[in-house]
Amino acid sequence: MRVLAMLCACVTALVLGAGQVVAQGSGPLRIEITEGVIEPLPFALPVFEAETGDAGSLAAQLSQVVAADLTGTGLFRQIQPDAFISTVASFAAPVQFADWKAINAQALITGAVAVQGTQVSVKFRLYDVFSGAELGSGLQFTGTTEGWRRMAHKVADAVYSRITGEGGYFDSRVVYVSETGGKDARQKRLAIMDYDGANVQYLTDSSAIVLAPRFSPGGERVLYTSYETGFPQIYVLDVGSVQRRALDAQEGTMSFAPRFAPDGQTIVFSLSQGGNTDLWSTTINGGAAQRLTSAPSIETAPSFSPDGRQIVFESDRSGSQQLYIMPAGGGEAQRISFGPGRYGTPVWSPRGDLIAFTKQNAGRFHIGVMRTDGAEERLLTASFLDEGPTWAPNGRVIMFTRETQGEGGRASLYSVDISGRNLRPVRTPEGGSDPSWSPLLD
Amino acid sequence: MHTGHYISGAGHVVLIGWMIFGDVFAAEPLPIEAVPVSVISSADYAALTAGDRTPQSATEIAQPATPEVAAPPEIMEREDAVSDPTPPAPAAAPSADDAPDVSQIAPLPRADVSDAAPVLPEPPADVAVLVPEIAERPVPEAAERVAPEPVAQPDPDAAPDPIEQEAVAPDAEGEQTQEPAEATAPEAAATEIVTEAEEPSAAPQTSPRPPARRPEAPVQTAQPAPTEDAPVEQPPAEEPPVEEAPSETVEDVPSDTDDAVAAALAEALGEAPASAGAPDAPQGPPLTAGERDALRVAVQACWNVGSLSTDALGTTVVVSVAMSQDGKPLTSSIRMTSSSGGSEQAAQQAFEAARRAIIRCGARGFDLPVEKYDQWQDIEMTFNPERMRIR
Repeated sequence: MRVLAMLCACVTALVLGAGQVVAQGSGPLRIEITEGVIEPLPFALPVFEAETGDAGSLAAQLSQVVAADLTGTGLFRQIQPDAFISTVASFAAPVQFADWKAINAQALITGAVAVQGTQVSVKFRLYDVFSGAELGSGLQFTGTTEGWRRMAHKVADAVYSRITGEGGYFDSRVVYVSETGGKDARQKRLAIMDYDGANVQYLTDSSAIVLAPRFSPGGERVLYTSYETGFPQIYVLDVGSVQRRALDAQEGTMSFAPRFAPDGQTIVFSLSQGGNTDLWSTTINGGAAQRLTSAPSIETAPSFSPDGRQIVFESDRSGSQQLYIMPAGGGEAQRISFGPGRYGTPVWSPRGDLIAFTKQNAGRFHIGVMRTDGAEERLLTASFLDEGPTWAPNGRVIMFTRETQGEGGRASLYSVDISGRNLRPVRTPEGGSDPSWSPLLD
Repeated sequence: MHTGHYISGAGHVVLIGWMIFGDVFAAEPLPIEAVPVSVISSADYAALTAGDRTPQSATEIAQPATPEVAAPPEIMEREDAVSDPTPPAPAAAPSADDAPDVSQIAPLPRADVSDAAPVLPEPPADVAVLVPEIAERPVPEAAERVAPEPVAQPDPDAAPDPIEQEAVAPDAEGEQTQEPAEATAPEAAATEIVTEAEEPSAAPQTSPRPPARRPEAPVQTAQPAPTEDAPVEQPPAEEPPVEEAPSETVEDVPSDTDDAVAAALAEALGEAPASAGAPDAPQGPPLTAGERDALRVAVQACWNVGSLSTDALGTTVVVSVAMSQDGKPLTSSIRMTSSSGGSEQAAQQAFEAARRAIIRCGARGFDLPVEKYDQWQDIEMTFNPERMRIR
């Protein structure tokens, strides 16, 4: 009896145990991927098709600019045409994905260019090669032959956005101070260029020292500081007409470090009076200036948050130069930088999540970013002199000034990804400093 | 005179003392020790028999058409339940309104035909060309094996030794030991096997071990077997005992333990393939930790997050993929089952990066054991970029 009962128990236990094993192993196999690789995404960009007879050279140039835009981000790597197995004979022809897979091209960009008189039309398509599908729909841009670079930038912006999910920044411009001559006899003038250093145009002559140009939120105006009268004074310059005018200034004062509010009408700046520097605000149309701070210390380099509600600025009220945030209308300021060294020139990210700054510590200068509450400080660069960061329209890239050491030291522009990768110089015909990135053009 | 009384008294004292301190008290505890053993075994046995009987009653109820007795109330409830879902029928009409959204998406991709993916047969073409070229080369054998030096001729003096050897006489005893009396052994073994096979309770006919393939065949053979033997006649015969409730079923077990064991084994063997035959239940041994790690490493080698936005780097996506037996992912089956931590757009970017990783590194097939295909024919991969975020 007992033996039989135990036998039944064993059999039942086996059955139940088997059931549990099946239950545990049911469903798909599950794995978790937590480690990946960070490397540029390889893409293929065959020279755009020339749909008209005289579009050949323009198509080649346009293709080069698109490829340069993408590779310049550090996020993409162009596969050289020598490695192509097949070509794209026609923009409307089906894509042989297997040929592009074979060379590990993960993205394929095809395009066509047509020229009719002074009008240019550019169309493109973007393919996810390994999925064998098109990413988004094809787009077409039309413009003049003179503006072909902008069309190339727009194509690159679309490709960049579709792959990364970030907004583009190629179709934008940068205003900066072009510098010539040695350190003891340096001449400065305002210049404007494409984000990649092309199409440089000068906005002022070099008769007076100019400093710190700042784009308006719409990109149609520039604020800057000039020593034209012997004292620093703020000017507003219309980029289209190159007309300028000085903002009203109180006699016996020095105004500098201006910056637009997001509304494009309010201006916040530093005013030095009687040896004390405070922050003030006014309107671009010459309204009455309003004092925002009233401390015996030096407050300068203000920058608005994207929503216009707060201002980040630098101050030495604590004994050393640190960063503070206060309401846009003035009020109690809250310190956000607590690390060693001195912090300055804060700039709020257009996305609102980070603040870029210049840091001087242990004899070196850094460009860094931190959260708006001062957390997660991250230094991106380190050199003899790095300063003056400005954000790309998408908040992913920072451009700044780097000056080399010595009497022959030269100031030039650099850009870096907010991850700290892809540090690279921005080619300018002369030296450059104090860059200010425009918003994305229409 | 008193001597007789003394002897009689002493004898009685010894007798009474022996009765008190003798074996009379020691003999009683023995049966008491046996009682707890019987009590424990009965409790376990009752529990076991109750557990064994419940599935039987369930199966028996399911088989016969019992609704004859208790059907009316159940049918009434079901009718109400069915009557409720009928009104939502018009809801099917609004679902058709979603079609315009799809049609609007369709015209966006212009002209181009991007369906030229099936150009896959190229790789085999290359292999077919290369193979014969390689196969022809090993043909040349040649390899001259002519000995460069002439083989020394045997000396004429080395003639066969004329020494005579004594012939070995066969050993009479050795021949006698080889008498074939051993043929009886296999016969005895054969009889034993036959006797074991006759007992149905042995149940080795279908191994509980999971087969390499899906258990479709065992499921089909197990179910029709009882139905073919007495498909319709048995249910009515079993109706009376069902009405008399579980009291009889419990009592039957102790009465005939052989039937109980046979029933338990039959259930065990019958339920195992039934549960294993459930849809999507993988068979075979699970993947080892090493095999899972190999798959994970293979996928993450192609998971490039360098071009992802900061938002996408904060998004975890779960991607499901069906695999073919050669270890290659079925591209059309890759889809995002869920995401967390980011916007819809960020999730889409993260999913595309994950899909590229699966397709790229799976193009040549992941190194997975074919014998465990049921375990990995469907894979769910969670791509968590937490460690890859910008710091």
